[in-house]
Amino acid sequence: MSHAHDKPFVLPADQIHIPAGSMWRKMPIIGLLLGAGGLGGAWATSHGDSHAFWYAYLVAYMVFLAIALGGLFFVIVQHLVRAGWSIAVRRIAENAMITLPVMVLLGLPIIFLGAHDLYHWMDVAAVEHDVMLNAKKSYLNETSFLIRMGVYFLVWTGLSVFFYAKSTGSDGNPEAGIRAAHSMRFWAAPAVALFALSLTFAAFDLLMSLDPHWFSTMFGVYYFAGSALSIFSFISLTVVLLHKSGYLRGVVTTEHYHDLGKFLFGFTVFYTYIAFSQYFLIWYANIPEETMWFGYRIADDFLPLTFLLAGGRFFIPFFFLLRRGVKRNAFTLTLAAVWILFMQVVDMYWLVQPVLAHHHALESADHVMHLHIGPVDFLALLGVAGVFIAGFTWALGRKALVPTGDPRIEESVRFENF
Amino acid sequence: MAKYQDELDPITGRMELVEGDHVTFHDVTEAVARPIEIPSSRWWIAFIPSVMLLGVYLISIAYLLYMGTGIWGLNNPVAWGWAIVNFVFWVGIGHAGTLISAVLFLFRQKWRTSINRAAEAMTIFAVICALQFPTFHTGRPWFIYWPLPLPNQMDMWPNFRSPLLWDVFAVSTYFTVSLLFWYVGLIPDLATMRDRAKTPIRRFAYGLFSLGWRGSTRHWLNYEKAYMILAGLSTPLVLSVHTIVSFDFAASQLPGWHTTIFPPYFVAGAIFSGFAMVLTLLLPVRAWFKLEHIITVKHLENMAKIILLTGTMVGYAYAMEFFIAWYSGNPYESFAFQNRLFGDYWWAYWIMVSCNVISPQFFWFKRIRRSVVWLFILSIFVNIGMWFERFVITVTSLHHDFLPSSWDYYSPTVWDVSTLVGSFGLFFTLFCLFVRYLPTVAIGEVKSVMAIANPHHHGDSHGEHH
Repeated sequence: MSHAHDKPFVLPADQIHIPAGSMWRKMPIIGLLLGAGGLGGAWATSHGDSHAFWYAYLVAYMVFLAIALGGLFFVIVQHLVRAGWSIAVRRIAENAMITLPVMVLLGLPIIFLGAHDLYHWMDVAAVEHDVMLNAKKSYLNETSFLIRMGVYFLVWTGLSVFFYAKSTGSDGNPEAGIRAAHSMRFWAAPAVALFALSLTFAAFDLLMSLDPHWFSTMFGVYYFAGSALSIFSFISLTVVLLHKSGYLRGVVTTEHYHDLGKFLFGFTVFYTYIAFSQYFLIWYANIPEETMWFGYRIADDFLPLTFLLAGGRFFIPFFFLLRRGVKRNAFTLTLAAVWILFMQVVDMYWLVQPVLAHHHALESADHVMHLHIGPVDFLALLGVAGVFIAGFTWALGRKALVPTGDPRIEESVRFENF
Repeated sequence: MAKYQDELDPITGRMELVEGDHVTFHDVTEAVARPIEIPSSRWWIAFIPSVMLLGVYLISIAYLLYMGTGIWGLNNPVAWGWAIVNFVFWVGIGHAGTLISAVLFLFRQKWRTSINRAAEAMTIFAVICALQFPTFHTGRPWFIYWPLPLPNQMDMWPNFRSPLLWDVFAVSTYFTVSLLFWYVGLIPDLATMRDRAKTPIRRFAYGLFSLGWRGSTRHWLNYEKAYMILAGLSTPLVLSVHTIVSFDFAASQLPGWHTTIFPPYFVAGAIFSGFAMVLTLLLPVRAWFKLEHIITVKHLENMAKIILLTGTMVGYAYAMEFFIAWYSGNPYESFAFQNRLFGDYWWAYWIMVSCNVISPQFFWFKRIRRSVVWLFILSIFVNIGMWFERFVITVTSLHHDFLPSSWDYYSPTVWDVSTLVGSFGLFFTLFCLFVRYLPTVAIGEVKSVMAIANPHHHGDSHGEHH
């Protein structure tokens, strides 16, 4: 690349490295403490109600898995389309992505300890008495579930380690950076296919099969939309925090805020599009085996939550993010990012918890769906968040905050919207 | 990588969008405007057969109006035959243009500038073709205005709950906005044509439609604002049209039609087929008009990649449909999909899968993405496959419905075939007229993405490249 600019391009070293002793470098320890405290507290406050614990754990797990998978999505798509603008924030997505091996570890308890509490179809006796579950047992059974989860975990670990190692391996070495850029672009295309299939089936297995009678071809796309929203929020939030604490100034600019905000806006519309389509088609056709899934989500206590989902996922962020100035301002962008992450938690809660409430309602005398949010929910979220943050900040402190060897890093730093 | 070294822009280090040494702005104007001003006789080789096909269409429609829809092969379970298949096929093709102009514009894909004009024109013509089919399928096309909610003394209103009515609104909105978008983009180039015109008629005609464009900064400022607003408005429209078309099927309870992934799946399919048609049309145009340095191999390669991506998305949707049909444990769903694979119309299903899912996989290979011959052949395969997709969806789900006593085999008649083939005549005739009288490439936009348009460009200083 020839430089028609007057000054040679140099990345300011103090802006792209977090020195030891910074608060950021202490976060891995704090995160682990939070993780242990949160998860221990959640177990303690569930008072031996293993259902309450595992449902809360699954909500928290799916929230942070969405960020990690969103990071993987972000990274491979930037390589695939040879994006220039995003390179200055790509390392943040890479650090979110490299938490996938940690998320795999956090997923093991679900598979080996929680699965029987979470997934009704694992109960062999219940399957025998249920015609539909009996019909589905060639897919919904413990052995094939284990094998499938193993495959997803391998794919996620493999892809995240590959792209992370390639990118960090060429830091400060532009020649290696060019080779790595070519190689990552080459592998990005098959990676997209692996990503799409593993995310889809993981969403089927971990979330859709909570209610094993229900099915929707859109469901994989639904979880994907949430994970795309999560990563763009997460990157925005992290960049703003790093700016506040004196990093990445002059490297990540208002122009990057603007583009991150555009993607938040775009995926807000995308989420609404597919979520509404899924709801609308099921509502319109009104086939009992499909509508019942929405039926108990709009029953009793859960109706306000469903309204919150519709309003909070679409109307609030859509109208808020519409204006150009909002996307270019650190404070308003942070508001949007925090809100969207909060709505991701609400969304995962809305996908998971009504199933448990529905079981309780069926067993109770009055069949009323009770929405119950207790300390176990907060503590489980805090615990998984702690572990995720530990992994993320450990990666953040380990390497430069931007991929310094990337051949297009200058293009990214100097990029302007027009 | 060195095997396919493209020319690189000396400022950005990215691919040069207009190739050739020392190509000036004027050269671009000449390259695009000259074939319109001094037409080649080869144009007639394309135009005459197109008009003959158009004749086939007009005869088919005349006979249809005389006899009624009974001349088509429609029967009791399959009341939606080729008319709906062709409608969805043409609407799908009409997605690429506005996607290129609007969505790729929002994503700052500068390479779109050399293909957007022709693709948008194609979009408009494809939507015109699409609108023929539901119009004549009504049986009494002189009442086609009935779906419009017009106040009337009988107080009769269209059924607002019907996705077919939403189609009327969605397609007409899309057509209007696409036409506006295309026209706004044309204004600066029409002014160029006006300024170059040598005859009073041309000067008047181009002058009338160029709305007094003088190319002042103020004009460009307004133009770019309008372009951005239209791009923002068109983007949801690109998605909404095929989403509503998919609702025609998916809002029902019919196995094979009722599935929640239909909206994005239809949109992906529409972009897939639209890009294939853009390739089918632009490959001859760029060769005959000698535009290879403006619509470069790199442009073709990008289109091939989009075809690969959207074709694979369509494959994903097929896979989801099958998986859920099996996973759901619903015997009717399973039957519908077994019937697709091995039933009476198994051949249609396998043509669809081969053309839509397997044929784009060749585009994994760079050599094939950059070969004009391969691109042309594969684009035809995709066109065929996407027609068959609509055929499979419409006919296989209908011909064996819930009541076995009403099952029947549907076959088209010669009039079904002549109407479809004839609609290509309508399409190609319009496209021939477009390339004859209007600039096929957006001259003004292409100039803006050339290296020499970059304010940092210093004459012919070439730096080192990646």
